Amino acid sequence: MDAKVRFFELTMWPHMRAAYNLARWLVHNDQDAEDIVQESFLKAFKAQASFRGSEAKTWMLAIVRNTAMDFRRRNKSGIAVPLGDEGYEPKDDSPDPERALVDQSRREQVRQAISHLEPEFREVIVLREIEGLPYKEIASVLGIPMGTVMSRLSRARNQLLVELGGTKLDGAGEVQHDLP
Amino acid sequence: MTCREAGPLLHARLDNELDMAGLVSIDLHLSECRACAAKYAALEKLHEEIAAADLAYAPGIALERKLATQFLREKKSPSRFWSWNWLNASVMAAAIGVVVLILSVPMLRIGRDADALGAEILDNHLRALQTVHQVDVPSSDQHTVKPWFQGKTSFSPPVPDLTEHDFILIGGRLEVIHQQPAAAIVYRRRQHVIDLYVSPSAGADSKPELRDLGGYHLLHWSQNNMSYWAVSDVDSNDLRTFADLIRAR
Repeated sequence: MDAKVRFFELTMWPHMRAAYNLARWLVHNDQDAEDIVQESFLKAFKAQASFRGSEAKTWMLAIVRNTAMDFRRRNKSGIAVPLGDEGYEPKDDSPDPERALVDQSRREQVRQAISHLEPEFREVIVLREIEGLPYKEIASVLGIPMGTVMSRLSRARNQLLVELGGTKLDGAGEVQHDLP
Repeated sequence: MTCREAGPLLHARLDNELDMAGLVSIDLHLSECRACAAKYAALEKLHEEIAAADLAYAPGIALERKLATQFLREKKSPSRFWSWNWLNASVMAAAIGVVVLILSVPMLRIGRDADALGAEILDNHLRALQTVHQVDVPSSDQHTVKPWFQGKTSFSPPVPDLTEHDFILIGGRLEVIHQQPAAAIVYRRRQHVIDLYVSPSAGADSKPELRDLGGYHLLHWSQNNMSYWAVSDVDSNDLRTFADLIRAR
């Protein structure tokens, strides 16, 4: 069988969904995400000689992430500000008869909260919480040390906790924590 | 352990990134510090909430198909490709499609027009394979696809479930062929897309007639005042089987 096609089938194609998900979270629009995935696949296909048999998923996702970053740089005006950045207010937990609606809106709140994160925090949340990658692989995708992955993840989650307002830690706890 | 030291370990614990020693020391701290325990509970809840929200974006079938078309074009042995068992159904759906088109009477009235019509349908099929806009209503459920055409067409195209025969419904879209609205029902068989174009026709019933055009097969027939064109690069025998199944419904 054609080696190139085989490479595509075994190394690239299985990670297409993860690639799309990451791209989509980084650019906020279906069409741009599709373009980024296509461009990334083309890059990966051309660069297959440089693929040294490391983890295929992180290799693919690194290409997608860098392509998305380039895209953002090229289109700064369009994506600099995440959707609805200004007016987000967490809702209180008042009971609602329409349980399904509540669940739906909570889901939307979580989605919004993540999309409101700065890109460097959003990407670690997406890779960790949605794609389920271990720290080591996240570090490899983003090209940063593991310590940085951990500190970004910690800050990202703290921001999500604040924005989602689900859990109120008492003041004493926060002081005692003395988190940066 | 101080709370400051515990901070990063809370996350590492949540993410299963701690070795046994780390786990023991953070658990000891959590058992002694209410604030950190509350913080950990909050992080755990957040983690569960994100998981429950199921926030992964799924690529459209059009993207999957586009990539498959782009990178598998030079593929030499199709059967081999499908033997890879990591390919799940949705991936296959991307790479394979069957589109069934039903055409309207006016387009078919004049025999001489049939070839031109076939070419137009093939063009439409190829264009659909290459664009994002593969289906207007992506669904493998006939009860979703069929009603979607209500109000969009003056007729109700047949959308049979042929899964047991290995023709998988992908969805449908509205097309204009020869200035007439046509329903395009999209199926797949292995790595092949089949478009079935359907539109009303006043002509007499006719049996499926095969045309080959540029490596693609087109089957045209008329039945119960509807005109049908099935087009695909699938094996011509498979396409005939497909046509027979549609006609039997």
